[in-house]
Amino acid sequence: MDVLLNVAQGFGVALQPINLLYCFLGVFIGTLVGVLPGIGPISAMSLLLPVTLSGTPESGIIMMAGIYYGSMYGGSTTSILVNIPGEAASVVTCIDGHQMAKQGRAGPALGISALGSFIAGTFSLLALMLIAPSLASVAIAFGPAEYFSLMVLGLVVLTFLTQGSMAKALLMACIGIVLGLVGLDSITAMPRLTFGRLELIDGIGLVPVVMGLFGVAEVLINTEQVIKRDIINTKITQLLPNRADWKASAGPVGRGTLLGFFLGILPGGGAVVSSFASYALEKRLSKTPERFGKGAIEGVAGPEAANNAAAGGAFIPLMTLGIPPNVVMALLLGAFVIHGLQPGPLLITQNPGLFWGIVASMYIGNVMLLVLNLPLIGMWVQLLKLPYNILFPLIILFTITGVYCSSNNVFDVYVMIAFGVIGYFMRKLGYEPAPLVLAFVLGPLLENNLRKSLILSQGDLLTFVQRPISAACLALAVVLLVGPLLPSLRKKRELVALDEGA
Amino acid sequence: MFLGSRLMIAVAAIGALVSAGAGAQEYPTKPITLIVPWPAGGSTDIAMRAIADSASKHLGQPVTIDNKAGGGGTVGPATMAAAAKPDGYTIAQLPITVFRLPLMQEVSWDPAKDFSYIVHLTGYTFGVTTSAESPFKSWKDVVDYAKQNPGKVTYATPGAGTSLHIGMEQMASMAGIKLTQVPFKGGAETNAAVLGQHTMLQADSTGWRPLVDAGKLRLLMVWTSARSPNFPDVPTLKELGYPMVYDSPFGIGGPKGMDPKIVAKLHDAFKKAIEDPAVIATLAKYDMVPNYKSTEDYKKFVAEVTESERKVIDTLGLAKKTN
Repeated sequence: MDVLLNVAQGFGVALQPINLLYCFLGVFIGTLVGVLPGIGPISAMSLLLPVTLSGTPESGIIMMAGIYYGSMYGGSTTSILVNIPGEAASVVTCIDGHQMAKQGRAGPALGISALGSFIAGTFSLLALMLIAPSLASVAIAFGPAEYFSLMVLGLVVLTFLTQGSMAKALLMACIGIVLGLVGLDSITAMPRLTFGRLELIDGIGLVPVVMGLFGVAEVLINTEQVIKRDIINTKITQLLPNRADWKASAGPVGRGTLLGFFLGILPGGGAVVSSFASYALEKRLSKTPERFGKGAIEGVAGPEAANNAAAGGAFIPLMTLGIPPNVVMALLLGAFVIHGLQPGPLLITQNPGLFWGIVASMYIGNVMLLVLNLPLIGMWVQLLKLPYNILFPLIILFTITGVYCSSNNVFDVYVMIAFGVIGYFMRKLGYEPAPLVLAFVLGPLLENNLRKSLILSQGDLLTFVQRPISAACLALAVVLLVGPLLPSLRKKRELVALDEGA
Repeated sequence: MFLGSRLMIAVAAIGALVSAGAGAQEYPTKPITLIVPWPAGGSTDIAMRAIADSASKHLGQPVTIDNKAGGGGTVGPATMAAAAKPDGYTIAQLPITVFRLPLMQEVSWDPAKDFSYIVHLTGYTFGVTTSAESPFKSWKDVVDYAKQNPGKVTYATPGAGTSLHIGMEQMASMAGIKLTQVPFKGGAETNAAVLGQHTMLQADSTGWRPLVDAGKLRLLMVWTSARSPNFPDVPTLKELGYPMVYDSPFGIGGPKGMDPKIVAKLHDAFKKAIEDPAVIATLAKYDMVPNYKSTEDYKKFVAEVTESERKVIDTLGLAKKTN
């Protein structure tokens, strides 16, 4: 009963006209920055942080939160339409989403990602209301050893991301790991692979790498194949997912939601990892894994649900412990602090109006996003009809501004251009960028946590199997790796299943 | 025609004279750029924005913030030292890493030569915490335990080579104990590490405050020169017998060769800014306390800090290799 009262109080706060306005502004800006490649929620929120000072804490934080989950909606749009992820969590959406667009199914792809996001967002909010305090302990149960094993599991996911040659994918992953090493060694603060360049001390940024490998490379490769364009134009008939699409997507959305929510709670890249993990899971479970990479709607529905659920899950450690699990949440923490509020164990009891108000506003924001995004699908699809000689320079313009804005650093623009050229040749030669990006994100976390756990265990490797969470992750990784190596067994099982079906 | 062009020259010459005179007398005549080498929205950025806002009222010109993050807060000042004119229109916040990094690796700047120091502003509040469930009730318990179990006491820091790491190691060497550092990335992770008891202690800036208030963490000491008004029962480093203050202090400076008159103008404006009650209130949100040092004292302070840090960094094995 308590929860219901609290929720009612929350909606009372969130439905105040001024808060509704801020909520709308937040999700609107969020959709925009999500759609524009390069300009992610981080740059938008840090630029707008001073603006929120004038209003009440509720309004400011409602708007900030709106930008965050709004960008998770918008991020998929460019992935699907032009193969450029709006933000890192949408990288994996490119794989099948853009293939669908090429087949004239941009509408269903956009539709399922908006609706899947809505379902995931709603679920994660319900969970946030009901079980947030009890889940807080999950976040701190993960120490370095547990993270290490989770990252191992994450890297195993790699093997499911590839459509082509496994050797090439592994090579890309190795390059990703090496690129992740650039910068100050996180344990001893010694520079590695920086070649004396100050700009490299902080490492290579994820945004310029992703924008280069996907955005710039996509433009370069497309300048070669202008003729294919008419195919896209003629085939756009359906704007929303049909019944078959829904049937295929229901499972992926459900699983993606759960996966995203729990990974979102954990500090460190929850949204990105969960979208990759969801893709791998769906491919593994699919009866027709060969469709993945060629426009399977499951490959869009699962990861999109996962990254939105992760955005909801990420609020749990922030609101209950004051621990921001990612950079965006750290900015939100900044917004709390400049309003004189300290998120932490006392926030919910001392300031229930604020906590429940924000949660309720997120629910309203999700509805707004759905209403905002569904009609936009038609417009986005029309965007594809823009002549390439206008569209491509625009894309390049947006990626350059976006990369520059995220760090105020011209060096990052050079990095993006370099990776654009590299990405072009990678595509020509049949190397995929997704394994590189995943390894680039996970590699440094893997190394850092391995070394931290060994410091803590004083060099004892058994720590990874003695701790239950860690052991479970490693066991799962082994199962995933060994599973596909037993094809004869699997074939037999499939035959049996067919027989029973018949 | 002839006359016309001569007249033009004369007018231009007078104009140049006037503006040159104005430059010396009436600096500043245009907005001043203050480089903040941290991302927008962080604690340092918000504090600097409040200070700059107040200083601009005294200068009569806007002070605009340029966030140039990177290299642990060194990329911004290094870029300024390399490229900006010493005309007082480009200045930068100088975090302690500007002095520390050159001791640890090859860098493009020399803190003793490449900056014009203007004024020292403030610093952070650091503290050491442990989980409320831990057997350590006071710092003495930690020392006693560490004496019997060398190297077994683990502490989380927001990174290797940070003031927290160096401060803890200095304390350990004074107390004759051996501690093990586990470097994390930032306060969020160290909070989680000590809450989940993955490490025994946490050394970090006041990100732990809500958790200490809620009774989930126990604050063992603070590293400021006086006790924190928020935690009047918690002893300082000095009270525990370590004659040190660690607050990762910062001030502002410009490129080398700035006109002393311009330095004095900036010094006065920023000094008034940190006396402004509104600024003090903003700083207090992050447990920062104004720590004014004049231009001369600031220069001396830089020399002292560099010397004392050099010793610690040498003993920690973090010093750069000299060939």
